[in-house]
Amino acid sequence: MTATMNPNPSRIQVRPATERDGRRDYISIRDYGFWYGQKQALEGISLDIPERQVVAFIGPSGCGKSTLLRNLNRMNDLVDGIRHVGDITIKGRSIYDPGLEVISLRRRVGMVFQKSNPFPKSIYENVVFALRVMGVRDRSILDEACETSLRKAALWDEVKDRLQDSALGLSGGQMQRLCIARAIANRPEILLMDEPCSALDPIATGKIEELIHELKEQFTIVIVTHSMQQAARVSDRTAFFYLGKQIEYDTTEKIFMNPSQAQTEAYISGRFG
Amino acid sequence: METSDKKPTETPAAESRFTVSPITLLADLWMGRLIRFGGLGVVLAVFGMLAFLVLQVFPLFVGARVEALPALTVPASAVAFGEDEYGELPYVVLADGTIHFQRGSDGAKVQEWSPALVGRTVTAVRSYPRAGLVFLGLSDGAVLEAKVSYRATFDAGGKRALQPIVTPLEPVQVGSPGLPCLGVWNAKGAQSRLLVVRQESAGRPKLSAVRITERKGLGGKARVTASAPFAVAPELSDLEQVLLPSTADSLLVVTGTGEVRAYSDDGVGMPLLQVFRPFADAADARISAAGLVFGHVSVVLVGQTGVHQVWSIYPQAQPDGRSLRRWGKIHDPEKLPGPAVGIFAAEGNKCYLVGAGGELQLRNMTTDTLRWQGPAPAGRVAQVAFAGNYDRFTALTVDGKLHRWKLEDHHPDSSWGAFFGKIWYEGATEPAYTWQSSSGSDEFEAKYSLVPLFYGTVKGTFYALLFALPIALTAAVYVSQFLRPEYRQIVKPVMEVMASLPSVVLGFLAGLWLAPLVDPHLVSLFCALGVLTPAALGAGFLWSALPQPWRRQVRPGMEFVWLLPFIALCCWLAWQAGPSIEAAFFTVKDTASGAPLADFREWWRQTTGMSYDSRNCLVVGFVMGFAVIPIIFTIAEDALSNVPQSLISGSLALGASRWQTVWSVVIPTAISGIVSAVMIGFGRAIGETMIVVMATGNTAVMEFNPFSGMRTLSANIAVELPEAAAGHTHFRALFLGACCLFLLTFVINTLAEVLRQRLRERYKVV
Repeated sequence: MTATMNPNPSRIQVRPATERDGRRDYISIRDYGFWYGQKQALEGISLDIPERQVVAFIGPSGCGKSTLLRNLNRMNDLVDGIRHVGDITIKGRSIYDPGLEVISLRRRVGMVFQKSNPFPKSIYENVVFALRVMGVRDRSILDEACETSLRKAALWDEVKDRLQDSALGLSGGQMQRLCIARAIANRPEILLMDEPCSALDPIATGKIEELIHELKEQFTIVIVTHSMQQAARVSDRTAFFYLGKQIEYDTTEKIFMNPSQAQTEAYISGRFG
Repeated sequence: METSDKKPTETPAAESRFTVSPITLLADLWMGRLIRFGGLGVVLAVFGMLAFLVLQVFPLFVGARVEALPALTVPASAVAFGEDEYGELPYVVLADGTIHFQRGSDGAKVQEWSPALVGRTVTAVRSYPRAGLVFLGLSDGAVLEAKVSYRATFDAGGKRALQPIVTPLEPVQVGSPGLPCLGVWNAKGAQSRLLVVRQESAGRPKLSAVRITERKGLGGKARVTASAPFAVAPELSDLEQVLLPSTADSLLVVTGTGEVRAYSDDGVGMPLLQVFRPFADAADARISAAGLVFGHVSVVLVGQTGVHQVWSIYPQAQPDGRSLRRWGKIHDPEKLPGPAVGIFAAEGNKCYLVGAGGELQLRNMTTDTLRWQGPAPAGRVAQVAFAGNYDRFTALTVDGKLHRWKLEDHHPDSSWGAFFGKIWYEGATEPAYTWQSSSGSDEFEAKYSLVPLFYGTVKGTFYALLFALPIALTAAVYVSQFLRPEYRQIVKPVMEVMASLPSVVLGFLAGLWLAPLVDPHLVSLFCALGVLTPAALGAGFLWSALPQPWRRQVRPGMEFVWLLPFIALCCWLAWQAGPSIEAAFFTVKDTASGAPLADFREWWRQTTGMSYDSRNCLVVGFVMGFAVIPIIFTIAEDALSNVPQSLISGSLALGASRWQTVWSVVIPTAISGIVSAVMIGFGRAIGETMIVVMATGNTAVMEFNPFSGMRTLSANIAVELPEAAAGHTHFRALFLGACCLFLLTFVINTLAEVLRQRLRERYKVV
C-alpha cells in the first residue's frame, strides 16, 4: 500500500498513531493569522494538539511553520511590528491573556532551537539555568534536577564526570541534547523543537529521535522539521503548511499514506518544496 | 593540418586560465611585507619610546664621577686658599697674611701681596673663596679684610691672561684691643654683615662681633656703619668650633663637651636660643666635626665614632602651644668609618664632602645618599672649596699641597628616595612626599617626589571612573539590550561624536563654567545626583507594579518615554530641596557675626578640617567622566550587541526575564569586551591632561578629599616641561614621571589584556 503513496518506502517508516489518554485540544489554535509588519506570515490556522503527543510541522522553507512554533511561547514578541488575529489557547487559556506573564508562559512551554545554543557556562549551570532564574537556590534540588534532566536527555553517562566543564567543549549532538536537558529541567508541559536535528549527523539525529519518543511520555511535543522521514518517524500527527496556510493536518499515518490534499502528496513525494 | 595547428594554441590558452597573474602575486608579496613592516614598526615605536624615556631618566641614577687632578705644591705655611672661577690662578694665604698667587696649570708663582701692617702681626686667617674675600685677624683684635678679584687681560696675540688684584680695606676693631685674634668669621646677610672674632683671655674663649650695615643712598656712595663691638656667648668656657651661617642672624658654637649652642640675633645682641647635645647617648659625646650645608639652616655633625647626624632649624611645637623655629634632628645618615676631619659644603646644592677614616665621601644631605667616595689626601685637610658650578673641588692640606679634583655630578639631588620616598626637607616639620620644582630663591631646594603626582593621577582617575563607569556601563546595557533599535541608531553616533570632543574644550568648560556654577549649589547637586538611582529604581518598581494591560500599552523598549520625565521630576525636586537640606544639616556659625550660616563649603572645612577648593576633584571627575563615558560606552555597547541572539532567545525561552537574561547570559558572554572598555576608559582617564590642567588647582597635595585639587603626572609634565631646562634634574624628573606613567599604563593594560583573554577563553561562544 505504501508503494503508490510513498516514493521511497524503504526509507520512510510510518509509526502508527497511538492514542493516549489526555486532552485532545491541549493546545488549540483558532483562526490564527500573523503578520510581520505588512507581510502576512500565517493565515487561517486552526488545529488542536493533543496532550502528550508529538506533532510535526512540515512544509517548504518560508511556509510559516517556524513562525507558528515560535508563537506558541511568544518568542516573536520582541520582533518589531508583529500583529496577530485569532487565538492560541493552552489548556483553555489564551496565551495572549493580558493577565498572563509571558515569562510564566515560557516556563510552561520550553523550546529547543535549530542551532544548539548552550550558554558559555558549565554543563551543570546550563542545565539548571531555568531553575536558577526561577529562584531555586537549594543545591540538592539543583543537583537532582540536573541529573534527572541529563538522564532524560540521554546525556548523563557521557557528561556525569565533567559537569563543571564548559558546555562548549561538547560535540554538536551532545550540545543539542544538552539544550533539550536544559529545556526540560524545570519540567515544562510542552516542548517546542525547531528543526532540532538539522545540524546533526545521522547518529546524533537518531539519538535525538529516540529521545523524543521517550519524552512524549511526559511532554507534549511540537516539532518543526524539514525531514519528512523524521516527521514520519517521530510524530503522531503532522501538519503540512504551504505559503502561510495550513494545507492539511491529520495523523501522521494518514498524511504520509493517504494525504487528502494533492499539494501534500506532491510535497511529501518530493515533487516540490 | 588545421586541427594540429589549433591544438598547440588552444592548450596554452586553457592552461593560462589557471596561472596566476604576476601582479596578483606581486601585490600579495608586497602587501604582506608592508603589513609586517607596519606591525613591526608599531612594536619598535613603543619600545623606542620606552628606550628614549629610559635614556632620559638614566643619568638621574648614576652617582658622581670624580677624577683627581695633579696637586699643586704651595708654600708649607699656607693656611687658607681661594681661586678664580675656573681655577686658573689659585691663591694661598700664608700664616703671615701674604697672599700668594700661583698658576693652576704649572704651579708657577705669578704674584704676591702682603698686607701693610704697622707693628701688628697676622694671627688668624679665613678665606671665603666664592666671594673672593680674605679676612686677616690681627694681633690687636682688629680684622683686616682684603678683596681678591681678577682682571682678564689680552696681549697682542689675543692670549688671555688673568691679572689678580687685591684690595685691602681699613682694619675694623672687632675684638678686645690688645688680645690677638684666634679666629675670624664673616657672614653677609640680607640686611647686614656680621664679623666675628675669637680671642682668648685667661684661658677662656671670648667671642666678639661687629655688625656692619651698608646703606646705599639714591645714586650716592654707600654709607657703611659699623656697630660697636659686642660680646657673643660670654658664658662659654670652652669652644671647639664656630659656625656662622651666611644669614648673619645666628651663630652656632660647638663645645669640647659635645654641646651645640645656638645663638640668635634679636636686634640688640645675640642671646642663647637653644642648646643641644646630638650624641648625648653615645659613650663619647664629643663632636669630631661640624659643618653647615648650603642654605645654612642645616648642620652636619659627626661624633667620635663616625656617628653622623643632620640637624636643621624648623618650626616646632612648644609646650605652651606656640610653634617656634628651633633646631631638631632631621636625618641619621649611615655611620662613617671614623671621626670626621671636616665637613665641607658644596655650593648650590645640599652635598657635602666629609673626610673620615682616610677617605673622602661626597654625600647628599637631603637624600642621605653617598654620591662618591675615594682616598683622602695624605696631609690633614685645612680647607675645601667647591667651584661655583659644582664641577671641581679643591683641598688645601697642611703639608703644603693644593689637591684638585674634577667632579661630574649633574644630578646631586636625585636618588630613588628623592623620587619615591618620604624625605625630610629643610624647614619642613616632618618627612613628606613633596613635589615643588621651583621657587624664587637660589638657595631653594627642588623637591621631586613623584608620589603626590601618582596620588593625584590615581585620585583623578578614581573620581572620573566613579562617575563614568556606572553611567557608561548601564547605558551600554540599556541601549544594547532594552532600547528600541531605531533609538539606538541615534544614541550611538551621538555618543561617538561626544568622544571626539577636544578635552581642552571640556577642561575649559569644567574650569570656567562648571566649577563656579556647581560651587554655590553643591548640596542641591548632591541631592539631585543622589536621587537619580533611587528614582530610576523606583520608576522600575512602579512600572512592574502596574497591571499587565497598562504596561502593554507601552511598546517594549519605549519605557524611557515616561521614565525620563519621572526621573527628571525627582531630580528637580531634589535640587529644589537642596537649600533646605543645607540649612538643616550643614549650618555653621559665621565667624564674623556669630549668626548661623548655611554653607556646605564652610561646614566641610570646619567639620573635616580638610580644604575646600572651588576647582576640585568632583568637577574634574565629572568632566573627565564625561570624556571617558563615550569610549567606555561605545566599546561596551559593541561587546554587548555582539552577544548572539540565539543565546538571548535560549535564555528567554527558558523563562528568564529580560533582566535575568542580561545579567546571567549577556553580560558574562560580553565580559571580555566590557573589561576592554573599562580598561581603555581607565587608560584615557589616567593619561588625561588638559581637563586636569584646566579644572584643578594643580596643587600636588596628598589627600583623598573630593573637594581638593590634585596634580597628575600628565598635567605635571604639561605644565612644567616648557620651563624645565633640558638635561637638568627637573627636566629628567619630568621624564621619570612620563616613564612611570608609561609603565603604569603598560602594566595595567597588560594585566587587563591577560584578564580579558582568560575571560574570553572562558566565555567564548561557538
